[in-house]
Amino acid sequence: MRAALIGAGQIARQHLTCLEGIPGVELAAICDLAPSVAECAAERHRISRWYTDHRAMLAEVRPAVVHVTTPPSSHLRLAMDALEAGAHVVVEKPVTSTLAELEQLVRRAEQTGRTLIEDYNYLFNRAPREILRRIETGELGNVVHVEVSICLDILGPGGFADPNVRHPALALRGGAIADFLPHLASLAHLFVGRHRSVRTLWLKRSSSVLPSDEFRAVVEAERGTATLSFSSSSQPDSFWLRVHGTRMQASANLFETRVTFDGLRPGPKPLRPFVNGLVEGKDVARAAVGTLLRKFTGGPGSYEGLFELLARVYRALQNGTELPVTLEQVLEVNRLVEALKPAGEEPATQPLRLAGGREGGRP
Amino acid sequence: MKALITGAGGFLGRHVVTALLDRGAEVRAMVRPAAPVESLGWPKSVEVYRADLRSSRDLERAFDGVDVLVHLAAAVSGGEDAQFAATVVGTERLLEAMAGTSCRRVVLASSFSVYDWSAIDGTLDEDSPLEPIPDLYARDGYSVAKSWQERVTRKACAAHGWDLTVLRPGFIWGRDHAYLAALGIQVAALHLVIGPLTHVPMTHVENCAHLFALAAVDPRARGQTLNVVDGEGERIWSFLGDYLRGTGQRGLRIPVPYRLAHRVVQLAFGTVFRRNLKLPQILIPVRFESRLKPLRFTNRRAREVLGWTPPLDFQTCLQRTFQPLGPERTAA
Repeated sequence: MRAALIGAGQIARQHLTCLEGIPGVELAAICDLAPSVAECAAERHRISRWYTDHRAMLAEVRPAVVHVTTPPSSHLRLAMDALEAGAHVVVEKPVTSTLAELEQLVRRAEQTGRTLIEDYNYLFNRAPREILRRIETGELGNVVHVEVSICLDILGPGGFADPNVRHPALALRGGAIADFLPHLASLAHLFVGRHRSVRTLWLKRSSSVLPSDEFRAVVEAERGTATLSFSSSSQPDSFWLRVHGTRMQASANLFETRVTFDGLRPGPKPLRPFVNGLVEGKDVARAAVGTLLRKFTGGPGSYEGLFELLARVYRALQNGTELPVTLEQVLEVNRLVEALKPAGEEPATQPLRLAGGREGGRP
Repeated sequence: MKALITGAGGFLGRHVVTALLDRGAEVRAMVRPAAPVESLGWPKSVEVYRADLRSSRDLERAFDGVDVLVHLAAAVSGGEDAQFAATVVGTERLLEAMAGTSCRRVVLASSFSVYDWSAIDGTLDEDSPLEPIPDLYARDGYSVAKSWQERVTRKACAAHGWDLTVLRPGFIWGRDHAYLAALGIQVAALHLVIGPLTHVPMTHVENCAHLFALAAVDPRARGQTLNVVDGEGERIWSFLGDYLRGTGQRGLRIPVPYRLAHRVVQLAFGTVFRRNLKLPQILIPVRFESRLKPLRFTNRRAREVLGWTPPLDFQTCLQRTFQPLGPERTAA
């Protein structure tokens, strides 16, 4: 299958590395507004054609699948053009800036008979898949509650809070944290289903250009409840997923390989904390070694889920089987994302550009 | 003569501003929108132009009345893509803006990192091979960005018929920037000195700025590519000793033969590390070589073409780097 990318930045590199390893996929072309970025990506990944005009690329290359890996405010237009050109579309999260834009895109995907996939890479990391397996086998019991918590320093220089260049994510309602809501929402949706009600708290602890840097939410959903949080201040960086079942509790750090299970075990009840502690300690030590080895021996790291997701997407497209992410799932996750966002107007849809200006000097 | 200096608020840039003023040039200093400039102590004649090359519109206006662009702006930290955006895309946007102006002269700050260190033996000079494609992509983000920055600049200059001078400095050092990557590996107070007798290709920031200013004003520099080092370079062992004494740090230097360390890194990279390019820089053979390979360095061409000699000798450079600032400088 001929694949093409629009957007050749940091996340595109992860997509390209994944695609290089998927059998039957030809990296046909790449496009970026900056010629050097497009040409460099093409050279690095041995892609024969590069473009700065995505429409020219779609018309000339006719890719079967287009990956949209640009800032979110451009997703609607680019994904729409790709669908119009007859391609299936894989879009980086957040799939669009608003739910209304997504609904527009979904309608077009249905009309063209093409598929639209939002990147929910963390659903396909080993830890959530292992937790799901234990739910399916009944080991974990019924899911009562899920906690998803990201602690990530996004206040440092050069990133979301760069005082010199407005980060594209700041064009989202909720600012930089809104860029992470699809991760929180997709994991909550995976374990407790469609949401019914949501309560949120958006806070600002630090002085920066970000509208908010702390976020908490309580979600009531069809199969249980969820608490979601994002902290820019709490350290170290981590991505905790905790699933509370009626027979077992699972805990995983998705930035690492760590996953532990704390369950009802046979034997005298007073000894349970001791036995659970020993088992958990063994799992934590094994995960620590695994995380270290992963760093030294290479591989996708915390992007492991993207590799799994894209492999499944292409397998499904090649075989005509069910896709790993459905349109209905994308809509339900994004309804939750919309409910989680702070009230108010959308910020400027295009990132503001700073105008050059003089000061001082001679009159 | 009027010069536009990008990256003027940076470590090298602030000294290039001073060096150009000393040569009687008018200076427009481009700094990032949020950069503080008051502490730099520039005279009022320096025209500060606030812009970020990644995003600012109207870069063209920065070239009003400018005769020469001294392009120093580059990212020295951050992820590989962020460095590429700041260094290469920024350059692309800047030169695109310049195309609509009357400025026809560029002095570019490139780097020793563009050379193919693995292929060079003996003396590294301006005729040494550059890192080829695709080997370049095994190098670190800074090297990739600087190679591409030189590439897009040469391309734009050739397309528009502009005069270009490319200056490639080695390690630039000076006050608050004296610990160099070539000094080895530091673990707490322990310094593993890999190849202790190896010379470091180094240029003190004031000497380096002196050559940039000279290249900007001297027509003999047009069309030239010049390496910037103050001389053959200090040996790692002795410079690390100077550094420890100068900073008052306690440290134990442990010598490690270069060939032994290089062989161990090569073996480990090909076996247990499975050619993983996400390893720490020092564990990737090509990056190890580009920091530590024992080569000889020379500023012969800068001397021949421009008659340049570094104005400060090594002892003066040490004093300027490590001696406490006087009360008037501290207050500034």
